[in-house]
Amino acid sequence: MIHVENLTKRYAGKTAIDRVTFDVGRGEIVGFLGPNGAGKSTTLKILTCYLSATAGSAKIAGHDIFTDSVRARQHIGYMPENVPLYTDMRVAEYLNFRARLKGLRGRDATLGAEEAMETTGLSGVSSKMIASLSKGYRQRVGLADALVNKPDLLILDEPTNGLDPNQIRQVRELIKQLGDRHTILISTHILSEVEVTCGRVIIINHGHIKASDTPQNLIRRLGAAGKTVIEVKTAPNLVLEELEKMPGVESASHVMSRGDWTVVEIATEPNIDLREALHELMIDRKWPLRELTRRTASLEDAFVGLTKSLDEERAESH
Amino acid sequence: MRVFYVIFSKELRSFFSSPLAYVVIGLFGLLNAWLFVSIVTVMSMSVTPRSLVYNLFDSGWFWMGFCFLFPVLTMRLFAEEQKMGTLETLLTAPVRTIQVVMAKYFATVTVYLAALVPVFLLFLLFRGVTGQAEAFHGGALFGAAVGLILIGMANIALGVLCSAMTSNQIIAAMVCFAVIMLHYFLGFFQYFGGMPGSLMTAGLGYVSNVDHMRSFSEGLIDSRPFIYYLSFTALLLAMTHHVLEFRRWRV
Ligand SMILES: Nc1ncnc2c1ncn2[C@@H]1O[C@H](COP(=O)(O)OP(=O)(O)O)[C@@H](O)[C@H]1O
Ligand SMILES: [Mg+2]
Repeated sequence: MIHVENLTKRYAGKTAIDRVTFDVGRGEIVGFLGPNGAGKSTTLKILTCYLSATAGSAKIAGHDIFTDSVRARQHIGYMPENVPLYTDMRVAEYLNFRARLKGLRGRDATLGAEEAMETTGLSGVSSKMIASLSKGYRQRVGLADALVNKPDLLILDEPTNGLDPNQIRQVRELIKQLGDRHTILISTHILSEVEVTCGRVIIINHGHIKASDTPQNLIRRLGAAGKTVIEVKTAPNLVLEELEKMPGVESASHVMSRGDWTVVEIATEPNIDLREALHELMIDRKWPLRELTRRTASLEDAFVGLTKSLDEERAESH
Repeated sequence: MRVFYVIFSKELRSFFSSPLAYVVIGLFGLLNAWLFVSIVTVMSMSVTPRSLVYNLFDSGWFWMGFCFLFPVLTMRLFAEEQKMGTLETLLTAPVRTIQVVMAKYFATVTVYLAALVPVFLLFLLFRGVTGQAEAFHGGALFGAAVGLILIGMANIALGVLCSAMTSNQIIAAMVCFAVIMLHYFLGFFQYFGGMPGSLMTAGLGYVSNVDHMRSFSEGLIDSRPFIYYLSFTALLLAMTHHVLEFRRWRV
């Protein structure tokens, strides 16, 4: 669906993205993740044919975005960062205009607009002026615009930016639903966002693609280990001694003591769950246990690892 | 053509859904009604070799109002879209930039024509009420209409270009107004010291809006002003297209 090769963009001497290469297959929901200023919006603006690239090439549904730009754009529903809208139009009027602009005619345009409003939960405000809508509703209008002509591909630039937690949850639900019918490329600087909605993550930092994989693989590949915490009624040296012997344990450390109780943090290999073995150990030794918690490594750990290692590389090369 | 029509009708609607179009048409109509009455009064008191049409469109007051018309009508077109960011949604839809430029341009031309209608109604009304056929003849009125449309088309193209070059409407309006005023005064330089019949004088005469308007108001329809204004319009619209496409150039 998207094929990007060595895309480079320089703004007046400053390189925003540098030899960016990636693919997005039909039906995928891909998260485009990176901190602010990483080059996400720049990449998406080039893909949607708003900006040119300094070098490199890209294809949308087989159409070159530079030589066959109108045809490429016919396949894209795009929601830019900050969702620009004509505030002096009514919701239905705006979506109808956008539908006709994208090639739907007469009744098809009306139906398309109605369906998009239904999907995004806008039916109740269809005759309101866009100027009078809240940020959350404007975001939905932007989303409805992106999908009004049922394009194959949705490109959404930070769709949950500036929303409150409730609205964020609603928009995420919506995006997940849309994944059934569209290929989606969604940019964000919020990690938890891609972890719950996306099948694959492309991480970009300082204009370089740093990784592209499923969230689970990223976590595993980066070796961000899982952690298990126990609180047990025995002496620290006794419990540590037992844990060192246990298979799957990478390290165990004494965090603190609360009276007779000892809190120990156990680092495990990724995707290993020691809780049952720990429970059995405690029963065997007759040590009372009052806490047993496992925390899986999150994409956040992977992301911090990635962006940090890149910064270190940079620091070294200077 | 479909895309053109979709944007054209949206632009027309947004002109007429804000007070701007009504205020512009209303003020321009009032100014001309006042001028019209004044000129009729003067003409009824003294003998003048010129027709009513000629006198109205040769008046400095008319040109004042006329020059204000264009920056006000055009300043919004692209500057506002750039400021609001909607240019991005507009140009990432499957449309050609030239379709966008033409649609906005012709929507403005349409509003401009609507502003001219009341002025020409004054003449028809005058003739109907007074039955004074001698005040002007139909050819002069037709010529004046052609002249105003040609000059207006070029000036609107200029305003469209100014609006595309900035995201600030006020700057777009000021630049447009400055260029129109410069153009207006340029036409008078031929009377200052230039040798009559010299190339310089002829050149200045050729670019002079006022000179062309005088011939049109006498009912003389020549091909040269057509070529002048239409090629100017085409050049300015092509420049607008390039300004908007510049982002897509590989540099
Ligand atoms: N129009 C511009 N002119 C100059 N530099 C720009 C422009 N737009 C973005 N940049 C720079 O390019 C880099 C990438 O920006 P952007 O793509 O907006 O990042 P992101 O969307 O990931 O936050 C940033 O360092 C930014 O300062
Ligand atoms: Mg951005």
